[in-house]
Amino acid sequence: MRWISKLSFNQKLGALALALGSLAVFANVAPGHTVTVDAREILTGVERQEDHVTPGELAAWIIEGRTDYRLVDIRDEKAFAEYHVPTAENVPLATVADGALGRTERIVLYGDGGIHAAQAWMVLKGRGYTHVYTLREGLDAWKDEVLFPAVPQNPTPEQQARFERSVQVAKFFGGQPRAAAAPGSVPMALPTQVAAPAVAPPTLPAGAGGGPKKKREGC
Amino acid sequence: MASVTQDVVPEAAGEKARVAQPYMNPYLAGIGLGLVLLAAFVLVGRGLGASGAFNSTIAWLVSLVAPGYARSNEFLGNYLEGDTHPLKAWLVFEVAGVFVGALLSGLLAGRVAGSVEKGPRVSVGTRLAFAFVGGSLMALGAALGRGCTSGQALTGGSLLNLGSWVFMMCVFGGAYAVAFLFRRQWR
Amino acid sequence: MSAPFYKLGAFGDEASLVVAFLIGIGFGFFLERAGFGSAKKLVSQFYLTDLAVFKVMFTAIVTAMLGVTYLSWAGFLDLSLVYLVPTYWIAQVVGGLLLGVGFVVGGYCPGTSIAATATGKLDGLLFVLGFAAGTLGFALAFPLVKGLYTAGAIGTKTLPQVLGIPYGILVFGVVLMAVSGFVGASWVEKKMAAKAAPATE
Repeated sequence: MRWISKLSFNQKLGALALALGSLAVFANVAPGHTVTVDAREILTGVERQEDHVTPGELAAWIIEGRTDYRLVDIRDEKAFAEYHVPTAENVPLATVADGALGRTERIVLYGDGGIHAAQAWMVLKGRGYTHVYTLREGLDAWKDEVLFPAVPQNPTPEQQARFERSVQVAKFFGGQPRAAAAPGSVPMALPTQVAAPAVAPPTLPAGAGGGPKKKREGC
Repeated sequence: MASVTQDVVPEAAGEKARVAQPYMNPYLAGIGLGLVLLAAFVLVGRGLGASGAFNSTIAWLVSLVAPGYARSNEFLGNYLEGDTHPLKAWLVFEVAGVFVGALLSGLLAGRVAGSVEKGPRVSVGTRLAFAFVGGSLMALGAALGRGCTSGQALTGGSLLNLGSWVFMMCVFGGAYAVAFLFRRQWR
Repeated sequence: MSAPFYKLGAFGDEASLVVAFLIGIGFGFFLERAGFGSAKKLVSQFYLTDLAVFKVMFTAIVTAMLGVTYLSWAGFLDLSLVYLVPTYWIAQVVGGLLLGVGFVVGGYCPGTSIAATATGKLDGLLFVLGFAAGTLGFALAFPLVKGLYTAGAIGTKTLPQVLGIPYGILVFGVVLMAVSGFVGASWVEKKMAAKAAPATE
């Protein structure tokens, strides 16, 4: 291939570019949609209850004003706009693994129930996310335990004290206690998103009111 | 006049002669630039830029004088969100590096000298005025275009970003369209 | 997938600023190496006497583009995590034209003006000041220009998506276009040089 040595330096560069360009025709650059799941790690985590947080824990975190985690609502925009847990951001289920969430961030996912969040959780775990959790039983449990705590029947003093506290928490989030009802009864109306809590909410850092810390990435 | 070999630009007659090394082969310089850009993609997941650093700096300066207004201004407010200092931005640090890198290259090549780049038919004052006006026009273009040649053309171009290619073609188009009008400044 | 390292948690914000500075050094270094600290050299592109701007820019684009292609293909780089500026095509058409005009009038672009200032060009400094002024003006006038600013918003779009041509084929196309452009550029430069100095022919 002596003609190669006859080329000028620039022409050699050009030839190299063309060669690399031709090979690139076969390139497949789509980010992998496959995830690798370590079955044992996943399942032991679930068994040890390390995969979720309870509504009570989440409520406490919000009241404390913790900012070291991201609360992610995986439902669609419409559902999110109607009601979402304060401080939550909306990342619809289908886009959850697209890159809006960092792999090492502490993330709490929730949906209406527990199933979708659990599925999203498994996908993210398979992508190597290190601190992702679900809200156990999602918004259903949030409503049951935090927003509308049931009045206990014949409470012990301890139960009564716990109930008083949960009423305060409920009021903070715009909810109220309910009489313990039989399953299938009419659900209580969700608080409007802008309901003023009786207690002044903890001040959240600017930009964290439902939004992630915006990182400028443009030019 | 020196003959044109290997893309070395001959010094224009009548201008201050400089004892400077010839410029690097443009293809090699381009490869170097491309590798730097690739490093940015691989290390940080973003490309190069310059205009953004100006935005951050202006936002910061305005916030010193009128903090309330700065935050409420839709354009500047973006650069003042949260508790981070606006100058603690990726592009600001990158542009600081550009200054240092260019100075380094210039020193190595003997190309650092106080001077004014202009053609023989125009005065220094006129040239400086044009430089200022040209800069302001560019700022408008970069703000609307969401970037400049480094951010949009280089970065977006290599990522096959639609907006970037559209922008890049218009930059060349706009420049060629008015080059004839401003030829006296340069030749 | 190991890259982009920062987005996969390899290092934090502070370190990324150091990386920014180092990358900037590389950027500025090669800009000046190419002679882009000189307005005369830059502007020669638009008078067809020296097409280094085209050569450097497109070589850089091709280099980075091929690098990205091969690294993603190899599974090393997660392309979906690399930031893409969304398209606002009307704003970008107007912006691009303005940028082009500003380039010929001012003699620099923002990045090269920094390089020029670093190497002592007073006009580079004036350009920087003008750019700052223009940015301030734009910000102050933002309510008036907001409509144009957001005109043509169609979200984040890539050429493969919009043209329906597979990524790899487009990459080849860009390389082909660039290399043909380089050949053409050399031809144009020789023609212009011959025109400028007919006595030496």
